[in-house]
Amino acid sequence: MKLLRQTYLLLWKDLVLELRRRESLLTMFFFGTLLLFVFHFSFDLVPEKVTEMTPALLWLAFLFTGTLGLTQLFEAERANHCLDALLLSPMDRGALFLAKTSFNIILMVAVEIIVIPLFWILFNLRSWEAVPLLFFVAFLGTIGFCVLGTLLSGVTLKARARELLLPLVLFPLMIPVILATIRCMEAVLRDGNIGDAAPWLRLLLGFDVIFVTVGILIFDWAIDV
Amino acid sequence: MQLTVRDLSKAYGLLWALRDLNLDLVPGECVALLGPNGAGKTTLLKLLAGLIYPTKGKVYLDGAELSRTSTTLRSTIGFLTPGEHLYENLTVRENLDFFTALYNKHTSSAVIEKALEEVGLTHRSGEYASALSSGMKFRLSMAKWQLLEPGLLMFDEPYGVLDGSGVNLLEAFLKSQCEKGNVVIIASHHISRVLQLCTRALILHQGKLTFDEPRRQPWESFERAFADFLPHGGP
Repeated sequence: MKLLRQTYLLLWKDLVLELRRRESLLTMFFFGTLLLFVFHFSFDLVPEKVTEMTPALLWLAFLFTGTLGLTQLFEAERANHCLDALLLSPMDRGALFLAKTSFNIILMVAVEIIVIPLFWILFNLRSWEAVPLLFFVAFLGTIGFCVLGTLLSGVTLKARARELLLPLVLFPLMIPVILATIRCMEAVLRDGNIGDAAPWLRLLLGFDVIFVTVGILIFDWAIDV
Repeated sequence: MQLTVRDLSKAYGLLWALRDLNLDLVPGECVALLGPNGAGKTTLLKLLAGLIYPTKGKVYLDGAELSRTSTTLRSTIGFLTPGEHLYENLTVRENLDFFTALYNKHTSSAVIEKALEEVGLTHRSGEYASALSSGMKFRLSMAKWQLLEPGLLMFDEPYGVLDGSGVNLLEAFLKSQCEKGNVVIIASHHISRVLQLCTRALILHQGKLTFDEPRRQPWESFERAFADFLPHGGP
C-alpha cells in the first residue's frame, strides 16, 4: 500500500508538471504525426501490403516518439537536483520506477489514441474493426517499451551523452517486444484475432511482467550507476 | 539524534575524496564543517545524507546503520542546499504539500500556513517556485525542513543567498533545531558567522579530518589549523 501511495503521489506530481509545461506530450504528438506524414509520402501502401507493412510502420512511429518521451522523463528531476530530494526522502525507489513508467505509458497511450486512427485515415485502410484489438496489442507493447525504457533511462541518467546512449542501449534489448508486437499486430490485421500469434502475445505479457518486477527490485541500483 | 561515523572513505575512481573519517556527534550539537575547496565537505554531507554510498566505512544514526535499505532512517535526515531540491513548476504550497506527503507527515493546512508565515512566504504561497528569488527559495527550503522535522540537518553553503533578515531567520532556525536535540552540520566558507553559532568545528583537508575540537575562547589551535587556508599576501 505504501508503494502504491508513493507511486500515486509521484505520478500526480509528474502529471501536474506536464500539464503546466506541456513539453513532452506536445513534442511526442507532433513528432508522431510528422512521422505518419513522412510514411504517407514515402510508401505506396497497397491493400495487399497492408498486413505486412502497417505493424512495422506504426511501431517505428511509436518507438521514435516513445524514445523522445524517455529522454525527457527525468527532466523535472534533473533541474534543481530534485532527484536528490527524492532520493533523500524515505520513498521506496521502486515507487519512482512505477510512477515514471506509468507516466510514460500515459503519454504514449495519449499519442497512440491520435496516431492509430490518423494512420488508418491517411492510408485509407478499411479494417476499422481491427483497431480495438490492435490498440490492445500496441498497449502491451507500450508497457514493455516503457518499463525497459524507464529502467534504462535511470541507468543513463548521469551519463554525459544520455540522449544518444539511451536508444543505443534500449533498441537492441527491445527486440523481443518489437518482434512480438509486430507479429501480434500482423495476426490481428490478417485474421481479425490473435490466432496463431498467441505465443508471441504470451512472450509480450511475460516480458512486461518480468521487467516490471525486475524494475521495482533493481531501480535503486539502476539510478546509482 | 546521535550520529556515529566509522572509517568513512569515498573514492571517485582513483581519487580519494574522503579517507578514514571517524566522528561522533551527540544530540543538540551544532557543528561547523570547514575546509578549502575540494576538501571533501560536500562529499561528506552527501555520504551522511545517503545520497552517495561509501567506498569503505559506515554511518550510524541512533545506532542504526545507514544503508540502501534503510528507507525509514532516511526520513530523519535533512539536507539543505540553496536553491535546490524544489520543483520549479509547482507552487510554494504544492512543494510543501508534496514533500510532507512523501515523508508521510500528516501535516494540517494550518501547520503548513504557520511554517510559511514564519519564513515570510504566506503571500507568495500560490506562486511557482521558479518565480522566487534564491533567498526566497532558501526560505521555502527552511519551511520544508521545519515541517519534515529531521533529526540530522545539514546545510551546504547556506549564507551566500540570504539577506540580513534571511540570515537572522536561518540562525534562529538553527538554534531551535539544536534546542530540540537535533544534530546540525553547516558547511560554509563564512567562518566567523558559523563559528558564532556552532559548538564544535571540524576542518577537512584533502579528504582527511585535520581538526576536531569544541569551541572555546580564545581558540588559538583553530586559528593555527585554519591559517593555512586563508588568503596570503595582497597588495
